[in-house]
Amino acid sequence: MTDVREIESSLLEFMRREIFAPDLELTAETDLIASGFDSMSLVRVLLFIETTHGFWIPQGEINAGTLKSVRSLAAVVLRLKHAR
Amino acid sequence: MNLIELLDESAAAWPQKPAFIEGESLVTYSALATRVRELADSLSGLSLPPGSRVGVHFPNGVDYVVLTFALWKLQIIVVPVPVECTDGEALDIIQSLQLDAVLGPTARGGSIPVEPGCHLTRFNSSPVTVHSRKNLAFIRFTSGTTSARKGVALTHETIRDRIVTANKALRVTSADTIIWTLPMSHHFLVTIVLYIAHGAAVVLARHVLAAPILEAVRRWNGTVLYASPFHYAMLAQDRSDVAMPSVRLAVSTTCPLSEEVTCDFRRRFNLPLSQALGIIELGMVSLNDSDPVRRWTSVGRPLPDFEIRLLSPDETGAGELAIRGPGMFDAYAAPWTPRELVAPDGWFHTGDIARFDADGYLYLVSRKVAVINLAGRKVFPEEIEAVLDRHPAVRESRVYGRPHPHLGEVIEAELVLEGDASALDSIRAHCRAHLASYKIPARLHVVAALPRTSVTGKIRREPVASA
Repeated sequence: MTDVREIESSLLEFMRREIFAPDLELTAETDLIASGFDSMSLVRVLLFIETTHGFWIPQGEINAGTLKSVRSLAAVVLRLKHAR
Repeated sequence: MNLIELLDESAAAWPQKPAFIEGESLVTYSALATRVRELADSLSGLSLPPGSRVGVHFPNGVDYVVLTFALWKLQIIVVPVPVECTDGEALDIIQSLQLDAVLGPTARGGSIPVEPGCHLTRFNSSPVTVHSRKNLAFIRFTSGTTSARKGVALTHETIRDRIVTANKALRVTSADTIIWTLPMSHHFLVTIVLYIAHGAAVVLARHVLAAPILEAVRRWNGTVLYASPFHYAMLAQDRSDVAMPSVRLAVSTTCPLSEEVTCDFRRRFNLPLSQALGIIELGMVSLNDSDPVRRWTSVGRPLPDFEIRLLSPDETGAGELAIRGPGMFDAYAAPWTPRELVAPDGWFHTGDIARFDADGYLYLVSRKVAVINLAGRKVFPEEIEAVLDRHPAVRESRVYGRPHPHLGEVIEAELVLEGDASALDSIRAHCRAHLASYKIPARLHVVAALPRTSVTGKIRREPVASA
């Protein structure tokens, strides 16, 4: 079973590569929105999660708490994965 | 005429009224006009003659608006260079449209400071003379097909005509407050300039989450909501009990994501989503403000100023949409092709297939020009294929939109490779280097051969069921 650390590290790798400028030191605690995460970034991350985990995060789950950091987002992914 | 007159008239009529609200900062019409004058003064010392083509490479914000109007005041042609462009994409715009300079918020090698937070980089473009008699204001770069013309050029008068026509449906007045979430580099003329011309207040609420957009509506009593289908999908799923009683019109400029989003949004906020038909060569042709509930898939009845024909209709009545009316583009910019050559009889052939219902409501059936709609952002497959095909391991590629229940479409690509699939990581890196991130295919599929249409031998655009 995938654990939260694995989800976290795959999200971190994806966002470092695809979303954020290389000069941002993205960690699991970085505030995503304050770092410039916008709606197109969100579209890309939701697609990445759909491709790697096989499900779409319902838009109702996307709120300030979920997008606080990679850590909080990974926790939501894991919870939804278990609920399936 | 010059579009700066629209701002000056609003500043004279409503000097103390807010033009823009950005976070906690409020810019009145009088302050906006003053900032435009001051920036125009600073820019006037930089020997950019009238008719120069200057790129605006700024993120959303009041500065974007100030800069555009300051350039117009100096009779300079404004060309948006979206901030999400890679260096290669920006260079393509600069070279294709022969830009004389680009203005951006940060200093770059060889740039000159104009003001704090505004730097000018010059390019040695060859002088453009063919159209110097035209009162050009704006060129919107369109990547389109590699062989096709790039850039749609509009004069000040054309943009004014578009605003006059569109506002017969939008009915924006100085009593309106627009809640704005979209990138100005993609939406500006029949939106931001129209709002300014009518003295409306614009709340810059570009945000990824539903709650801050709802808060902006509540706090500023927003009356018009202008957002992408993706935002509407998010708002439709909002679970708070915040309502939007002040909103009179919620516009979606591209097809709503799905019946589900349209219905959920209407149920959640007791507010229908109105589809509009915007065409880059024509402006806003129709808006479904009269029956968005029952006929939610319709773009509405065409505005009265437009004449519409459906060419070569099939047995269902659907045919190619041809339109004649005010605000039509003045020329394609590269290569320079005046409107008179494209539409000699005044009729513009859109390439879209459409039909009317018995009550005159227009429905788009399909597009002749391949375009992928990713959450409201238009993406041209040929542009992505051109990048993929430049990678040495790619023999040929096919890019298409796969229908997606939440995003409209997502971008996927099929590749015929020279070697084995080990090149895929390098191909992905190549895409990241040469394509704005939203254009990068979500999936790459390696295939032995590409599907072709039997008649023309052209690569097929639609997704293949087995892919």
